[in-house]
Amino acid sequence: MNTDRIVQQDQRKQDIKKTRVFSKLANYKPILWFIPFAFFFYLFQIAPMIWVFINSFVYEGKWSLENYHEIFNSSFILQSFHNSVWISFWSSLIGLLIAALLVSSLRHLNSRIKEAIIAFTNMSSNFAGVPLAFAFIIILGTNGAVTLLLKQWGIIEDFNLYSRWGLLTLYIYFQIPLGALLLYPAFDALKKDAYEAAALLGASSFRYWIKIGFPILSPALLGTFIILFANAIGAYASVYALTSGNYNMVTIRVASLVSGDLFLEPNLAAAISVVLMLLLAFITAINQWLISRSYYGK
Amino acid sequence: MENSKQFVHKGVVYSITTLLLIPILATFIYSLSSSWGATILPDGFTFKWYSSLLTDPRFLDAFGRSLFICIASLLLATLLVLPMIFVVFYYYPKLDKVMNLLILLPFAVPPVVSSVGLLQLYANSSFQLVGTPWILIGTYFTIALPFMYRAIANSFTAINLKDLIDAAHLLGATTTKAFLLIILPNLKKGLLASLFLSFSFLLGEFVFANILVGTRYETLQIYLYNMRQTSGHFTSALVMTYFAFIFLSTWLASRLTRGNNQ
Amino acid sequence: MSYVKINSLSKRFGDVTVFEDIEFNIEKGEFVTLLGPSGCGKSTLLRTLAGLDKANAGQICVDGVDITNVSPQHREIGMVFQSYALFPNMTVEDNVFFGLKMKGSSKKEAKVNLQKMLTLVELNGKEKFYPHELSGGQRQRVALARALIVKPRILLLDEPLSALDAKIRKNLRQQILDIQKELNLTTIFVTHDQEEAMLMSDRIFLMNKGEIIQQGNPVEIYTKPANEFVASFMGNYNLISGETAKHWFNINTTSPKVAIRPESIYIKEAGRHYADHISSPKSAKIISHQLLGNIIRYNLKVENEVLTVDLLNRSSERLMPKGSEIELLFNLNEIQPVGT
Repeated sequence: MNTDRIVQQDQRKQDIKKTRVFSKLANYKPILWFIPFAFFFYLFQIAPMIWVFINSFVYEGKWSLENYHEIFNSSFILQSFHNSVWISFWSSLIGLLIAALLVSSLRHLNSRIKEAIIAFTNMSSNFAGVPLAFAFIIILGTNGAVTLLLKQWGIIEDFNLYSRWGLLTLYIYFQIPLGALLLYPAFDALKKDAYEAAALLGASSFRYWIKIGFPILSPALLGTFIILFANAIGAYASVYALTSGNYNMVTIRVASLVSGDLFLEPNLAAAISVVLMLLLAFITAINQWLISRSYYGK
Repeated sequence: MENSKQFVHKGVVYSITTLLLIPILATFIYSLSSSWGATILPDGFTFKWYSSLLTDPRFLDAFGRSLFICIASLLLATLLVLPMIFVVFYYYPKLDKVMNLLILLPFAVPPVVSSVGLLQLYANSSFQLVGTPWILIGTYFTIALPFMYRAIANSFTAINLKDLIDAAHLLGATTTKAFLLIILPNLKKGLLASLFLSFSFLLGEFVFANILVGTRYETLQIYLYNMRQTSGHFTSALVMTYFAFIFLSTWLASRLTRGNNQ
Repeated sequence: MSYVKINSLSKRFGDVTVFEDIEFNIEKGEFVTLLGPSGCGKSTLLRTLAGLDKANAGQICVDGVDITNVSPQHREIGMVFQSYALFPNMTVEDNVFFGLKMKGSSKKEAKVNLQKMLTLVELNGKEKFYPHELSGGQRQRVALARALIVKPRILLLDEPLSALDAKIRKNLRQQILDIQKELNLTTIFVTHDQEEAMLMSDRIFLMNKGEIIQQGNPVEIYTKPANEFVASFMGNYNLISGETAKHWFNINTTSPKVAIRPESIYIKEAGRHYADHISSPKSAKIISHQLLGNIIRYNLKVENEVLTVDLLNRSSERLMPKGSEIELLFNLNEIQPVGT
C-alpha cells in the first residue's frame, strides 16, 4: 500500500512538472509582441548609441583614446563645450526663475485665465527651432522692430542677435514655456492650507516661502532645471538657423563633423558625443544628490 | 490688500505672457505687411505673402512630404507601441518600470548624438536608408515613443485591465477580441491626444531631417530653412502657416485630455 | 453524484503555495461560501475554478466532465467581480449583451432575453446608461445580469458586496439569494465577512492559509467550531484552557482549549429558576460593557480569565455598572472542546 502511494506521488510530481513546462512555454507567447517594438527601438535608438560609444574609441581603424585626446587638446572644441555649458546653464536658470514666477502667480488667478495661459504655454513650447530663430531675426535682428524701438528709446546702443547674448535671449525664450509646463503639477501640490496654517502660526509670506514653500518645491525645481539644461545643451536647430552654424557650440561641432562640407570625422564626433553625454550624466548625478539631500527627499 | 496682491499676480502673469507672445505676434504682423524695413511699424498690409506661399508648388510638396512622414511614423509608432504596452500591463506589469527608463533614452540622448550613429550605420550599407524618408520614419518613432507610452500607460492604469479581460474571457471572448472590443475603445482618447501632441513635435523636427536627409527629401522644416535667404515676409507667412497647424493639433490634444478627466 | 467535484486541487505562484490538496463537492443548486481571512487563498481558488488561474495539480469536474484544462471561454462559468469589471465603453445593454454577442447572437434575437434579464435585476429603463452613470449597487446588478444571461452552469461571486455601503449591501444580498433560488443556480460565493456567509449559505467552507479548515452548514460551523481558528473567526467565542475547564465544569477533556459562546453564559438573577444543565456557578466582576443595540456585551473577570457575555437588552435597568460583583452560570451543553 505504501509503495502504491509512492508511485502515485511520483506520477503526480511528473504531471506537475509537465504542466509546469507546458505553462512556461505558453507564458512566453505574449513576449512575441515585444519583438517588432524591440527591433525598431534597437535599430533607431540603441544601435546608434552603441555605434557612437564603440567608435569613439576607434582612431584610424585601431582601438585608441586618440579622439578623446584630440578633444582635450583642441581649444576650438573645448570652447564649444564652454559656450554650450554657459548658455545652457544661464538660460536654464533664468528660464526656470521666470517660469516659477509665472506659475506661482498663476495660482492666484481665476481658473479660466489659468487654463487659457496653460494652453498658451503648451502651444508656445512648440514654437522653437527654425521658426523661432526666424521670428527672432524679425524682431531682434539688426533691423528688427524691437531692436529699433529699444535703440530709439536709448535703452540699448546696439544689439547683436548673433552673439552670445542674442543666443541667450533666444534660449531663455524657449526654456520658459517648457519650464512652466514642468512646474505646473509641482505648484499644484503646494496646498493653500499649508500657507494658511503657517500664517495662523504667525509666519510672514517671506518666511513661509523660505521655510515651507521652497523646501517642498526644491526637488521639482532641481528636476526641472536638469530637463531644461539637457534640452538646451542638446538644442541644435535654433542656433543653426540663427547663425548658419557659425557659432561654436557642441551640437554644431558634432553635426559639422558628420555632415559638414569639409572634414568628416565621425569618430571624433562620436567622442564629443560621449563627453557630452557624460557631462549630462554628471550634472544629473549632482542634481540627484541635491534632491536626496533636500528636505523633501528624506 | 488682497486686491493689490491680485494686481501684482496679474501683472506678473500678463507681462510674461506678453513677452512670450511678442515673437509670435511680430511674425504674424510681418507676414501680413507689404514692407517693414528699418522702421518700427510696417508700411501697409497685404495677403500677397500667403497667396504666393500657398501657390508655391515647392511649399506644397514639402508640406505633403512632412505630412506623409509624420503620419507614417505615428502609424508605425501606434502599431508597435499599442500591443507592447498591452503585453506589459497585462502579462508583465513589473516591466512598466523598465519601460519607463527605456523611454527616457530618446529624451536623454540629444538627436545630434543619435544622428552620428544613424548616419554611419545606415549610409553605406547595402540597404541605403540615409537620404530617404524611411530613416526619418524610424527615428520619428523613437521621438514619439515617450509621449505615446506615457499617455497610453495612463489610460491603462485608469481602467481595471485584469478584471475587464477576465470578465470578457468568461463571457467567451478571446484575448484579441477583448483587446479590440473593450480595451482599445477605452484607450482611444489617450491615444489620440498623444498622437496630436506627437504630431506637433514631429512637424517641427529639424535636426534629424537636416542631418540624415537634408535637401534630398525636402520636408517643411528644411524648406523653411532653405527659404531663409528669400523675403522675410514670405518666411513669416510660412512660419505662421506652420504654427497654425501646431496650434490646431495641440488644441485637439488638450481638448481630448480634458475630456478624459471628466 | 455531486454536480461539482474538486479533487486534490493545488496552486502555486512560483515557490509560494496558495492552496494545496483542496477537495470538496457541491450539489446542484447549492449556495456555498468560501469564507476566510484575506490572503487565505479563497479568491485564487475561485479564479482557478473559473479557469482564470491555472491549477498546478488536481482536477475540477462539473456534471461529471473534467474541465481542468478547459479554457475559461468554454467553461460556462459566470463570475461577478468585486470591482464590477463592467466594460466602461459600453452601455448597460451592451454589457449584458456581450456574452451572447460572443456566441454569435444578434441583438434582435436577444431582445426578449435582454429585457428579461434587466427585469430580473430591476434595471429596466437603464439600458442606454453607461456604467459611470450608475450607483455601485446598480453596477453590480448589471454585472450580475451580464454573468447570468449566458446561463452559466456555475455562478462565482468574488466578494461582490465588499465595495458597497451597508444598506445597499443588505438589499443586494437578498436580491442575489432570491435570483439564485429562482434559477436553482449552483453558486460559489467568496467573502471574508462571517455574518454575510452565515446569512446566505447552504454550506460554508472555512479556509485558512490555503486549507479548508471546516465545512458544514452555518449552524454547524457556528456551534461546533473545529478548532481555535474557527472559534475566533466565527464569533466572539470565549476560549479557555482545557485545564481550567476541567476544574470549573468538572468535565473530562483532553482538548487543550474549550470554547464557550458569549450567549451560553448567564448572569444569575435572584429568584429565577435555571435548567439543570445551566450550572457551575462562578463569581465574577464586571470590567466593562458595550451596548450593541439589542445586545449588551459584558467583559468579565473570573479568576484569571476574561470572559465575554452577551445578554439580550430587555430593559435598561439591567445594565450593570463597572465593578459589580455578580455570579455566572454556564450552559454545559454548549461547551465545545476545540483543537488548536
